[in-house]
Amino acid sequence: MLNAFMPQLLLVLFALIMPALDYMVKDKRWLAFVALTPLLGYAFALASWTLGGYWQPPSVETGVPLIEVNLFSGAFALAFVAVGIIVALSSPEFIRNERNQGEYYSLILLAVTGMTVVALATDLIVLFVGLEIAGIASFALSGFSKKERRSAEAATKYFIVGGFSSAMTLFAISLFYGVSGTTEIAAMGPQMEAMFSSVDGIRSAATLATVMLIAGLGFKIAAVPFHMWAPDVYEGAPTPISGLLAAASKKMGVAAMFKIFLVGIVVTKTDWEVAIAVIAVVTMTVGNLIAISQSNIKRMLAYSSIAQAGYILIVLPIGTEYAVAGGLFHVLTHAFMKSGAFMVVAALTVRGIGESLDDFRGLGKRSPFLALAMMLFLLSLAGIPPLAGFASKFVLFSSAVDASIDPGPSWLVWLAVAGVLNSALSLYYYARVIKKMYMEKGPEERVTVPTMTGAAIVIALVMVIVLGIYFDAVLELCREAAGSLLQAIP
Amino acid sequence: MIEDIPILSLIILLPFVGALASLMLGRREHLAKWVALAFSAAAFILSLLVTYEFVVDPYSASAGEIDGYSNGYQFYESHVWIESLGINYIVGLDGISLPLFVLTTLLCMLSVIFSWDTDRRPKEYFGLMLVLEVGILGVFVALDYFMFYIFWEIVLIPMYFLIGIWGGPRKDYAAIKFFIYTHIASLAMLLAIMAMYFEANIGTFGMEAIAGESIYFSRGMQLAIFAAMLFGFGVKLPMVPFHTWLPDAHVEAPTAGSVLLAGLLLKMGGYGLIRVAIPSLPSGAEDMVPVMAVIAVASILYGAILCLAQDDLKKMVAYSSISHMGFVLLGYSTLGELGVVAGVFQMFAHGLVTAVLFMMCGVVQHKCGTRLISLLGGLARKMPIAATLIAIGFLASLGLPGLVSFAAEFMVFAAVFFEWGLWIFLPMIAVAVTAAYYLWALQRSMFGPMTGKIDTWHLKDVDWYEGVPVAVLILLIALFGVFPSLVFSRIGPAVEIALRAFGGG
Repeated sequence: MLNAFMPQLLLVLFALIMPALDYMVKDKRWLAFVALTPLLGYAFALASWTLGGYWQPPSVETGVPLIEVNLFSGAFALAFVAVGIIVALSSPEFIRNERNQGEYYSLILLAVTGMTVVALATDLIVLFVGLEIAGIASFALSGFSKKERRSAEAATKYFIVGGFSSAMTLFAISLFYGVSGTTEIAAMGPQMEAMFSSVDGIRSAATLATVMLIAGLGFKIAAVPFHMWAPDVYEGAPTPISGLLAAASKKMGVAAMFKIFLVGIVVTKTDWEVAIAVIAVVTMTVGNLIAISQSNIKRMLAYSSIAQAGYILIVLPIGTEYAVAGGLFHVLTHAFMKSGAFMVVAALTVRGIGESLDDFRGLGKRSPFLALAMMLFLLSLAGIPPLAGFASKFVLFSSAVDASIDPGPSWLVWLAVAGVLNSALSLYYYARVIKKMYMEKGPEERVTVPTMTGAAIVIALVMVIVLGIYFDAVLELCREAAGSLLQAIP
Repeated sequence: MIEDIPILSLIILLPFVGALASLMLGRREHLAKWVALAFSAAAFILSLLVTYEFVVDPYSASAGEIDGYSNGYQFYESHVWIESLGINYIVGLDGISLPLFVLTTLLCMLSVIFSWDTDRRPKEYFGLMLVLEVGILGVFVALDYFMFYIFWEIVLIPMYFLIGIWGGPRKDYAAIKFFIYTHIASLAMLLAIMAMYFEANIGTFGMEAIAGESIYFSRGMQLAIFAAMLFGFGVKLPMVPFHTWLPDAHVEAPTAGSVLLAGLLLKMGGYGLIRVAIPSLPSGAEDMVPVMAVIAVASILYGAILCLAQDDLKKMVAYSSISHMGFVLLGYSTLGELGVVAGVFQMFAHGLVTAVLFMMCGVVQHKCGTRLISLLGGLARKMPIAATLIAIGFLASLGLPGLVSFAAEFMVFAAVFFEWGLWIFLPMIAVAVTAAYYLWALQRSMFGPMTGKIDTWHLKDVDWYEGVPVAVLILLIALFGVFPSLVFSRIGPAVEIALRAFGGG
């Protein structure tokens, strides 16, 4: 048990010493490098295990199965840690004038800890604890720019909505406990079936719990109609933190949803599959439609990530192994392209350039690197080949076609149709940014790229290109990870 | 010797390297055109070498095989790419793709020459043209659906920039409309590809392998997939009523962009139909024959009639493309060997002719500062060479016997006559209308009294970099007009293989 928790303990340990370090170092950039140490170590360990197969994690042997280290948790943890690295790397320049920088990094480490705990959890209670650790750290992080009103507003709003959604989730968990008599995710299904056949009317309690769960986790992943908070929070939070929220925090909700819906309550799939399919389609459509009218780049990216959550949600009604692999793959690629896009915005902010779309005018001339990176991230988000976003959307949407042909009901194909139509819709607002950067005239003076933020952008950019052109190994990992999730179904 | 090197991959790679070189020139941006010329000329010369080899030695060692039988492809390369999904890197050329492949390298090289005086952001301009060439070449050689789609989409981005940066007054609107309109069509095609992949369920995206299964799909499935593909390819073609992106994009694009757009991008749609949709989904194609025929005739007539109403020379040429590409679809819709061969040949012919027309529209715009027929008149006196070239281009396009379009359209008509008899009168009307709008436009802009609406005093005739590409094209138009069998004889066997599923064609 303790072995399996080693990485989390290490992260927490570093999180605890960061504030003390803050008093000791003069050059605050060192704080970022210290915070990166456990993240890089964890990432290296994860990659060499999941992608390389050079070692195997020790199996967890306890009486009560609370966590499990498998490829599914490994793949999600990889995405979380990668985003953590990109965010920590680009932070020092962004927050250089703020106080309490040590706490900032320890909050990032705690947020990543919480997310990985969710990825590991096989028990509803552990899962909830993970959600809360990450949630509370993120509330504080989004209010980190204390001098800015909108940052404080973002934190308040996020805190209230987050608390509300946690309450909903907890309510759902307690109802599920009542219905199934267990908090172990894999055991919920059989127990519920047994209860359904023996106790009258208990099915409606399960339905109520499912609705609560959809609402609670729907807030976390900002699915429509639970999305209202996301644009305000992403806009108000310090930009690297917006990247963390969009690229990682949301995916924690996705991990929780995959676990509970596809393993825990898959027995009642017929009850919720249509509801989730509708939410998925509405989420992607509303996200994209509202994104078109945004004039602030962070808000636009927020709505775009609402739409991306919609794409990923189609995995739940499809429910095949290939679909889960597609969802996981999209989680991974989205982690890089979305955080990359936010880091470009962060780099511009560091250089005193605003966040409105018009501030991007003529960027192609002012900073060819930032403009090129932004263009590639946006095209990847739109799903243009040969970039990573295309590859993962290809797998994701094709899984809907696949399921509609073979095992599932034929209406599933409409999820793919909705997905591709939305991709085309999203191209409109992404292309508008590209147009501003390359086709419109703006200020002439050059923009230099902040070094560390630039390094973070390079990491994301390399991944977006590599995962687009050669994704065999990662897709194989996603498939095995999906297999390891679904094999837990008794 | 040529069999030993992956020649097709090399030809695709050349413009890509050229594009990178051009984009990284830094301050020496005046060199961009030389870089672009060098790489596009190298690709062209290699493609000639490929043609020579293809013609001289059709059963060479590099021919592709399925189960021991030749599949008609040469210069075949196959490598595993994404193993877990069965995605391979497969390229090859057959008689259908070879003419279009060479046309691509030729037109790209000539467009570079034609753009010799481009001084606005030349690095990006020539770099993007070369990227465009990569995409188009890739589409014509790819034999794996995933690859095919990637190349298909790569084409969009450079074109979006070419229109959006170097385009005319309404470039913003035209660029985004082109981008999104054709992207939606691509996505329909993508869904069709996914459906074929999973329905065939053989774990590969290889076109030939899937075609081996897909001909046995149920009739309804074939129809659904074929309809999606017809939409996907038809928007590019373009077919009425999905043609509205074309006039905007063509009119606003810079001249070289229009040349590549009309000369090559439209061919991607026609090529996709005969490479993928028709051979793989025979009963779907049979069920859609009435739809294809009606759309084809509608495109032919509607495009021609719209041409009559145009005052802008370039817009007229753009609409004429809709009309002429309708002949491609009409030829296909007979589903017979003659008609399909004629359709493919019409693509080749239209590529040559329309390039001349757009280049000459560019010349007129350049020299006179306008393309509006109502402002022009009597230009032949000041610009005799330009007027001659335009006249030849118009005559070629309206189907003068002895020039290349005549051979193509005549064969389409012959095929239609054998298939549907006297219904031939419908597309025949368009021939008369076509002659009318071209001759009328020629009369008003080039001949007659000298116009007083523009400054004709300083009018100069064509520059060398404009005249040479057009002259080369006109020579080819005459050559293939007199000896169409040079191309026919290569297309024929490939079409025969493509139509195997129809039981003897």
